[in-house]
Amino acid sequence: MPFLASLEHSAFGTWVREAPTIWAYPTVLFLHTVGLAFLVGINVAIDLRILGVASSMPLAPMKKLFPWMWAGFWVNAASGVALLIADATTKLANPVFAVKMVFIALGVVNMAVWKKQLFRDPNELERVPASPRAKRVAIVSLVLWAGATTAGRLMGYLGPVSGLD
Amino acid sequence: MGPTGLIPLGGVLQSMAAWAETTWLHYFATNYKWVWATMETLHFLGMGLLIGTVGVLDLRLIGVAKGLPVESTQQLVPWGIAGFILNTLTGIVFLAGAPYQYLYNFAFQMKVIFMVAAGINVALFYRAGTWPRARRVGAGESVHWAAWLAGAVSLFLWIGVMYWGRMLTFFRPPFVVPPK
Repeated sequence: MPFLASLEHSAFGTWVREAPTIWAYPTVLFLHTVGLAFLVGINVAIDLRILGVASSMPLAPMKKLFPWMWAGFWVNAASGVALLIADATTKLANPVFAVKMVFIALGVVNMAVWKKQLFRDPNELERVPASPRAKRVAIVSLVLWAGATTAGRLMGYLGPVSGLD
Repeated sequence: MGPTGLIPLGGVLQSMAAWAETTWLHYFATNYKWVWATMETLHFLGMGLLIGTVGVLDLRLIGVAKGLPVESTQQLVPWGIAGFILNTLTGIVFLAGAPYQYLYNFAFQMKVIFMVAAGINVALFYRAGTWPRARRVGAGESVHWAAWLAGAVSLFLWIGVMYWGRMLTFFRPPFVVPPK
């Protein structure tokens, strides 16, 4: 795959992978971790609340947490692209990477469409116990984000691995 | 900063590391390929749980999602503690598996310092009169400065813990052979 190899050996890809500075690979990896914590973590907090944890906490104000989840998503999209370019031939040959992308795509659709829709209907949102639809959104969210996190970790162990984390 | 971080090679730490390598946990962590991968996965899931739940409380303290009464966000904290316990346990497995990699690693030493600081911050928040005042803050209201500071410091320190955790492999002491 000459295209992927040229990506990987581009000036940018080489810089991310090899520059002997804390601002290259280590910082990109750190950003990818913080983005994960905010995107996945806040999703999980909302899911737990829907499923009955912290039931005295109103759900509607948690709408204000969506920009924090989106910030996490975009930080990870950008840092993820950088990590991918730096290791393109290996990561794009790894089926675990494809699995991770599927989890993320479904997780984002679940968040942006179905979870968002729940927050547009305050009556349904504050029902205790949660409506079947709300519960479905929460459980699907937990499964997809746990799946994405797990697949991301396992990319370092299964399939072709370059030694870059 | 020397090749062994803030601590010179030798003494108590070295005997601890040598002892760790004789334990069954060390054997468990280093002799099965799937153990390290599983522990890392659990460590990341625990991280998400901890940052997500404690983060919602911290964000509320610094003025995000002010529609949440402050006391109600407290109910998420046991889940954050669960994440913390999960990460302490999986962290102990890493530590037993590669004691020299961690104990003499500047990034690990900083990670521990940040976690201790986060613990002190939480203790001050609950014990020094900040929480009793903050918990009465209802929807739409702002907390007083001390509670705002506690939330901001907590966010900073936990992001710092993630930072130093990620820096571990880049600060690996030169005499340590990488695991895997």
